[in-house]
Amino acid sequence: MTVQIGIDSSWQDEFLKRIEDDGPWGNWELYKLAVEVENHTIIPEFEGLQAPNHLPNLTPLPHQLEVAKQVVESMNGKAILADEVGLGKTIEAGLILKEYMIRGLVKKVLILVPASLVSQWAIELNSKFFIPAVAQRKSYVWEQCDVVVSSIDTAKRNPHRDIIYSLDYDLIIIDEAHKLKNNKTKNYEFVQNLKKKFCLLLTATPIQNRISEIFNLVSLLKPGHLGTESAFYESYKKDSRSLNDDEHLKELVNKVMIRNRRADTGIEWTKRHVETIPIEFSQEERELYEAVTELRGEGDWVSSSQFSVMTLQREACSSREAVYFTLQNMLKRQEEPTKYFQDQIQYLVSKVEAVQQNSKAQKALELIQKINDKVIIFTEYRATQMYLQWFLKQYGITSVPFRGGFKRGKKDWMRELFQKNAQVLIATEAGGEGINLQFCNHIINFDLPWNPMRLEQRIGRIHRLGQEKDVMIYNFATKDTVEEHVLKLLYEKINLFEKVIGDLDDILTKLEFGNIDDHLVEIFGKSASEGEMRIKMENLTSMIQFAEDMKEGGLNAATGNT
Amino acid sequence: MQQQEIHKFLERYFHANGCEVVDKGPGYMTVQLTIELDKELMNRPFYWHYLEKTGGIPNPMQLTLITNQQLAPDQLKGEVIHFGSPRLHQIFESARNLAGYIRLYENHHHAPGQQTPLRPWLGMNVRISYQCDRKRDVFKSIGLQLINGQMVEDFHDKLLEMNLTPKIPDYSFTLSPLIMPKSGVSRVANFLKMGIEQEEHNWADEALIRWQKDLDLLEHFYEDAEEKGESYETEKTALKEQYEPKINISIINGGLFYLTDSAV
Repeated sequence: MTVQIGIDSSWQDEFLKRIEDDGPWGNWELYKLAVEVENHTIIPEFEGLQAPNHLPNLTPLPHQLEVAKQVVESMNGKAILADEVGLGKTIEAGLILKEYMIRGLVKKVLILVPASLVSQWAIELNSKFFIPAVAQRKSYVWEQCDVVVSSIDTAKRNPHRDIIYSLDYDLIIIDEAHKLKNNKTKNYEFVQNLKKKFCLLLTATPIQNRISEIFNLVSLLKPGHLGTESAFYESYKKDSRSLNDDEHLKELVNKVMIRNRRADTGIEWTKRHVETIPIEFSQEERELYEAVTELRGEGDWVSSSQFSVMTLQREACSSREAVYFTLQNMLKRQEEPTKYFQDQIQYLVSKVEAVQQNSKAQKALELIQKINDKVIIFTEYRATQMYLQWFLKQYGITSVPFRGGFKRGKKDWMRELFQKNAQVLIATEAGGEGINLQFCNHIINFDLPWNPMRLEQRIGRIHRLGQEKDVMIYNFATKDTVEEHVLKLLYEKINLFEKVIGDLDDILTKLEFGNIDDHLVEIFGKSASEGEMRIKMENLTSMIQFAEDMKEGGLNAATGNT
Repeated sequence: MQQQEIHKFLERYFHANGCEVVDKGPGYMTVQLTIELDKELMNRPFYWHYLEKTGGIPNPMQLTLITNQQLAPDQLKGEVIHFGSPRLHQIFESARNLAGYIRLYENHHHAPGQQTPLRPWLGMNVRISYQCDRKRDVFKSIGLQLINGQMVEDFHDKLLEMNLTPKIPDYSFTLSPLIMPKSGVSRVANFLKMGIEQEEHNWADEALIRWQKDLDLLEHFYEDAEEKGESYETEKTALKEQYEPKINISIINGGLFYLTDSAV
């Protein structure tokens, strides 16, 4: 075949002009240097990675290099990087980006990441990869800078959106790409219409719930790779939860997705030590908890569903402030609260007021003093967060709050404050994602989330590459409460804390029953007695175990054949 | 490029640009930039603009470059230079920019009283890039004698062995070219193109196959849709951008060389 050959004519024009003008002529030494530079920067082979030679301060791990090579050489620069949490997807993406830039295949780059990670991405690309990435803060940046990092929420809004659509990008990187699992959302549509040559989607959880999620991700990357939407759903059950159901599909997906697991990397990970710390309620706290629990029998007036009772129970395990806050909200939500309703609330408020101390907070204080090092406390409730900050201050312990709702700059600032000035960071659930805190190795789970994946995300903030010490995890569980049930019956049974997430996420996606949260609400909300609750939990955990055994069994069978 | 080579390279670069080295030792150097090089490297157009408007005394900066942190003094403040550092690549770029065009004469041993003729050569150093979704480059150096049309490869290597000077040496005269420089450049270009056309281009065939595959997938994806819409067109254009095989010849530098009969 004949390939189109282009030659740049600008050199010739200038050359002839200089002959005409009799100069100016270059310096022989510089002329020779230019040729030497050329011989040093030329890349004579299509294959192989150049990037590592350019990055003396970075020692990529073998699996990271392998990913970069595979994406460039066999996946044509379009891939889902789906390593487990903490294996360095950012490094892999950086290597690929650098490689393309060195080879002159990529110039204009758009990097879309969660708002809290924008600065961090820009800093890492600059410091580790010498890539002049700019965090988008002004709208002229889109056109003026070649490598721009932004949040998708900013990018999809005008005036930014129109400018971005007018540009041709060579490479687009999207971090936390599982957020694009739904093809009906504005974000999905926005990304679908971007002009992109190469594309990297980063996610630790390519499938969270349904197989349709992977269809949407792959179709963003390579439309048609998994067929048309209708044909896909004809062949595969839309609600199916596992790729393993179908070998063919698995193979197709593996052509565009790379997933390394911790166990495969051969890296020595620091250990996780998990300690469950049982908490004894004080008399008043116990009374508050019981009062809240009794509401369950009175379904009538708590019209706002069983879930409120559950919420209140869990809040009672966290802090009286959390309960109070919810009670106030319940009252506000009623347009014309009945006298009885008001009385009930008043009764509960009096129970709240009777509580004089927070047993968990006391324990946390002891622990923090004993650890005498940086500690992260996770709580699900903002009221608890604020209380804890006040409480610790009484004992001269400095702390900073952290929430998902913080603006990007504030998150960076809080992280920095924690690293340099404060001993404790108190984060709410939403703040768990999108911040890396490897410099700290102690986590207190002041209260427990019900979805094990969320707990893993908390731990993943500190148990990742770069963590040099063993990670200590302290789980607070108040005795004889829902909290203890969750911990005992679910988490401990499946050895969750010692486990690494990959297995778990396989197990969870294999389970042919709905959302794990729904199950827990069902169990704790609808059971008539302790006994029933226990039995239902047993059922749930044995199903999880069954799925796990199936998986191991499958593995054994496979290795047995060789 | 080893750190040692980088160090040498930097020394030669600054020397060639007339910069004085004010301090140096193992693993580092501090150079006093000239006004020209300050403008070239330090990226402070406002300063120079201001200075020219106000007629102040120019104060070009000093630049300290560290090529080996182990050897350089601990307290030394400077930029660490390695093969991937932006500063080095800026200097690479500058070396290319500053010496794009040249005219040199062979400094021959002349017999006294005898006039030596020097023949005109066009020398061009080029990079040929083969690009699809991947890329590789080849360096070529071509010399064309502008009287008889003789063409030689690896011309630059031959020049390196000669003693060349920017001024015409005594007792020498240049012969006028029969081939004009303009047609000389096109002769070299055609020579390169012919060479390329004779090569095997499996890489391009393979890229076309990859392209077609993705195109088929795309067609398939939209086959149910009545109106294919904008995202289809966007994706189609992107595939062309990604895979279409192209070969690009870019000229690094080149010029006129007046050489003796025996030189090449």
